[in-house]
Amino acid sequence: MTQLKLYSAIFVVLMALSTTQALVERTGFVDFDAPDTYWMAFGIILVLSFVKAVFVATYYMHLRWEPRSVTYLMLGGLFVALALTTAAAYSIL
Amino acid sequence: MVDSGGPVVGDTVLAGTSGIRAPAEVFNSIFVVFLGLGTLVGVVVISYTLYNAYKYRYREDEDPAPELERPELGELPESGGKGKKLFLSFGISALIVLSLVIWTYASLLYVEGAPTEAQQNGVDVLDIEVDGFRFGWQFTYPNGAQTSELRVPANRMVNLSVTSQDVFHNFGIPELRVKSDAIPGQTTNTWFVAEETGTYTANCYEICGEGHSGMDAKVHVMEPEAFQEWYANTEGETNGTHEGNESAGGEDHALSGPDEPAAPGALAPARAGGAP
Amino acid sequence: MSHGEADGHDAGGHDFPPMSSVKRWFITTNHKDIGILYTITALFFLVLGGVLALLMRVQLWGPGESILSAGAYNQAVSAHGLLMVFWFISPFAFGFANYIIPLQIGADDLAFPRLNAMSYWAYLFSGLLFIISFFQGGTFDGGWTMYAPLNVPTYMPNVGGTTVVLALIMFIAAVTMGSVNFLTTMYRMRAEGLRMRDLPMFSMSILLTVWMMLFAFAALLAALLILGAEHLLGVSYFTADGGTLLWTHLFWFFGHPEVYIVFFPALGIMAECFQTFTGHRIVGRKWFVLAMVLVALQSFVVWMHHMFLTGINLEIKTLFMVTTIGISLPFDLMVFSLIYTMIKGRIRFTTPFLFSLGALILFIIGGITGVFLGAVVLDYEFRGTYWVVAHFHYVMVGGATGLFAGIYYWFPKMTGRMYDEYLGKLHFGLYFVGFNLLYFPMFGAWETPRRVFDYALPLGTWHKVATVGGFLLGASFLVMFYNLFKSMAVGEEVGDNPWEYSTTAEWAVSSPPPLENFEGKPSYADGTLSFRDEPQLTADGSGDGGPGGSASTDGGIASGASETSSGHRSDGGLRTESATAGSGSALVTGPEAVTPTPTGTVAVHEEDEHADHASFWPFVVCFAGFLTFLGVSGIQNGGAYPWLAGTGGVLSAVGFVGLAREPFYVPEPTMAEQWPFAGVENMKLGMWMFLGSDVVLFGGFIGSYLFLRVANGWMHWHHAFIPEDHVVLPGLINTYLLLASSFAVVIALVAAHKNSSRGVVASLSLTWLLGVGFLVNKGLEWQHLFHVSTEAFPNGWNVGTNVASSTFYLTTGLHGAHVIVGLIMLMYMIPRAMKGAYLGDDETSIEYFGLYWHFVDIVWLFLFPLFYIL
Repeated sequence: MTQLKLYSAIFVVLMALSTTQALVERTGFVDFDAPDTYWMAFGIILVLSFVKAVFVATYYMHLRWEPRSVTYLMLGGLFVALALTTAAAYSIL
Repeated sequence: MVDSGGPVVGDTVLAGTSGIRAPAEVFNSIFVVFLGLGTLVGVVVISYTLYNAYKYRYREDEDPAPELERPELGELPESGGKGKKLFLSFGISALIVLSLVIWTYASLLYVEGAPTEAQQNGVDVLDIEVDGFRFGWQFTYPNGAQTSELRVPANRMVNLSVTSQDVFHNFGIPELRVKSDAIPGQTTNTWFVAEETGTYTANCYEICGEGHSGMDAKVHVMEPEAFQEWYANTEGETNGTHEGNESAGGEDHALSGPDEPAAPGALAPARAGGAP
Repeated sequence: MSHGEADGHDAGGHDFPPMSSVKRWFITTNHKDIGILYTITALFFLVLGGVLALLMRVQLWGPGESILSAGAYNQAVSAHGLLMVFWFISPFAFGFANYIIPLQIGADDLAFPRLNAMSYWAYLFSGLLFIISFFQGGTFDGGWTMYAPLNVPTYMPNVGGTTVVLALIMFIAAVTMGSVNFLTTMYRMRAEGLRMRDLPMFSMSILLTVWMMLFAFAALLAALLILGAEHLLGVSYFTADGGTLLWTHLFWFFGHPEVYIVFFPALGIMAECFQTFTGHRIVGRKWFVLAMVLVALQSFVVWMHHMFLTGINLEIKTLFMVTTIGISLPFDLMVFSLIYTMIKGRIRFTTPFLFSLGALILFIIGGITGVFLGAVVLDYEFRGTYWVVAHFHYVMVGGATGLFAGIYYWFPKMTGRMYDEYLGKLHFGLYFVGFNLLYFPMFGAWETPRRVFDYALPLGTWHKVATVGGFLLGASFLVMFYNLFKSMAVGEEVGDNPWEYSTTAEWAVSSPPPLENFEGKPSYADGTLSFRDEPQLTADGSGDGGPGGSASTDGGIASGASETSSGHRSDGGLRTESATAGSGSALVTGPEAVTPTPTGTVAVHEEDEHADHASFWPFVVCFAGFLTFLGVSGIQNGGAYPWLAGTGGVLSAVGFVGLAREPFYVPEPTMAEQWPFAGVENMKLGMWMFLGSDVVLFGGFIGSYLFLRVANGWMHWHHAFIPEDHVVLPGLINTYLLLASSFAVVIALVAAHKNSSRGVVASLSLTWLLGVGFLVNKGLEWQHLFHVSTEAFPNGWNVGTNVASSTFYLTTGLHGAHVIVGLIMLMYMIPRAMKGAYLGDDETSIEYFGLYWHFVDIVWLFLFPLFYIL
């Protein structure tokens, strides 16, 4: 039953973090004319997304209990996607 | 890395009277070295390969290394040894490749930096916009004159701002070693210095449709005086064949030369050839 | 790949028709049969691509020479490139991979035999789609690099252009199925004692190839799905500002690894042939392998060297120049390793060795001329010229040369008969001379612009020589075909192993090998290959379970062996891991040790239960996919196209249900080396591998969005392209819905664990409802946006309105499609759950579905902020 409690707690956290993301938007920080606050909000919101993703992958997808190599496999995919995105975007900056 | 001026790079040959080392020279001198070294390395390595292949050909009665353990069916893979020799040859080849490329990097900086450098030094530069379209080229001069053939004076730095009205093209004049992608919605820059007067051909180097093979433009390198005379006559007018303005398009093609005429819509691209 | 499975195992496999039967070739799932199918199909495409090349060479006999119209020439150029790169080289290599890999690693078959058959049929039908495209007003004519925006319908209105895009998408489906299958097989089904580092060179090269395929083709899939949407849905990515460059990024991000995807299998074959025919082990084998690993990794960070002239900034040019030079160095090492392998060898100049040696020489030339292109200043001038054409033909066709070594090398294994050595040598002679006559003059004529049939007169001689060489090269294949046909009938019969110094396991079985490959269980536990009496693969109910038990029995021998052979440091560790694997699966499956099949069913098998080798459904599914794609290609034109698409859709549904319900038994390997994925069942690992490639697919979409946004001004984006009505709330609601649905899947798993049938049904149904809610909410949101009417967007905010609407609808649409697929799976699972499925040990199906569903959830967690908030 502890398993179920853990899953439920994570669910609550996930919902709360999503709400927080929307709240950050409500505060008006996501202002396209104010780069400083915009990029701060940008950072906060994306970090929250990463945290949520890590929770889902670690617990709901059981990565925690799989051999570490499965995690590396997914990180490999992520690395490839990020390499493409960042280098391509940087090339035209 | 120092942003080296022209004459510093490689063997210091000054080009013509412009005092600027042309990209063609940069290319040719590097190309020759690469060709020489490449041929040498290729011949040595391939000969060595063939020599060994011949030397160690199978002979019934002769085992070159009787002490050597030969591979056997079902064994787990093992190395044939001699890692040291491997690394020696690897090191040498790596050294050759690395030094060659680092050497050319200085030239890259030169080629990339020359237009800015020239501007700073007050060198007289001719800016021309090159606009690719299916299937021809249009050249726009600082005075707004437009032509379908490129005319440039000899021994003067020519800056090209290259773009496209429709699809991906690539503008290149092989003899002058100048080339640049022509991409819709953006401008890429390149430059060259022509030393010899004469007529050359510019081609399209990126497949762009049926007329790709025939998408040429004549390039006339003229004596500076003759060029000035021709240029003066183009003042304020477009010189080239008009065939309506249906393909001028209304998009922002960065046709923003200093003397851009008021109505971009009236700039009919000079249609050359089309499909062969 | 479905996760459900019918319960019985009585049917199938026992009436497997003989090779002479046509039926067999439609239903076979055996890796050797499929290998043969791949090889023959690939050779067919070689001929097709070759004929197109000869047409071009005739056209190039003199400048502007004309047997083809300008449009036809462009089609020939494009189709030649696409067919050779996609439909010939890699599938040809995968013919060998299919046939040889399971034999080399000691497996009975691939992990998912039906998936393997699907992969083949998808490949074949994608090729047929391509051929049909010629007759739909002309095929794709924008070069194999398919540069934007020439590739969009404005400039390429032919239906055939769309068909080629769809054919490529289908081809990638085949590739992805193959990659997942090979990775799972090679990680989970190796013979006992065969560690990853002990993989034979060919297997090693294929392993790295499929890793690159898994990720690289996903990026191409993203590019092609976007392109397909440009053709069919009217989105505008590639015509937007920055769109042209976006295509080059996506394409070359795939395109450069593709070079090594093409070349690596050949390298593996060359290494095998060098060892076998020189009788000398590969010098510095472990460095060779390490170099290959380095190349595979680096291949993903060199792509912009194809874009040096596109106006990318100097810093990134420098960076990519460095990585490009970096990637050439490991190849130096491999070349020298092969050269030194000959020293002290006893070289037999058989046909496969000649082709391997030839490939090495060609590759040396290709490599040296590649260094020219690595120097950016030279590259500026070589761009778009025959220098590039000559260089990459030396590398790629040089690679194909290694593959032709493979066909002679394994011909006796595949047919049981020897090829004709004289004709083989004749083939090599003609091939090698023809090759160099064809491609070397292109260096001389390098100033010729690429894909142009008009060139400066002085270059004419070079081109004439090249044309002669082209025909010689083409003719050499007539010799090969004749040789292979003749030898298949009357060649000298060979035993298990016709080569004196071969080492790998395929030579230890008969030629051709028996249907299930090995009599006895192959094992390297005592340092060399041996075959053991097979401990029944089926479950034994006794206490500690089969795997753990046998591993510990063999442990004594293994540890004894590890002392004699040096460098086997981790033997002990591996043994521990396989023991862990045993206990791990015991934990999952409970007291009654049972074998989960790859399709997720768990059943206790009879002692004499045999693996199945036949299924008609892969053919049906892929044929249905073929009809669907063909219908979709011209669906805007009406006529027969919508009917074709509809028929295909219905048939697909029938096919997938048939596939899911068909009993198909494949034994999960026991006593196999499974590092580093011990304890992750085949099906689960396959799912993870698939998700890995899906990460890159979504990465490609999200990356495209970010790139276009940067190109159009990040901050400017919202003001310029997005209506006020595009608000956060629908996204937030959908985030809640998806998170809740993920939670419901977790609950379903817990319920299954507790054997609560009602709990499983209830929570899966809840998942389904939440998923439907997600789609409904999205539908309402889209409806609203379609019909906004503001000053800036008087006609609504539609798919094609602007670049922002295109990226929004297409990216979230792709995600929505993933949701729909998940819902369809649930619609299959819920009725089965009602009948009491998925309880206890059978919960794995829910787990695998959960992996997919949670992944879709995670993607949304990023789409939400990127498309709704930021």
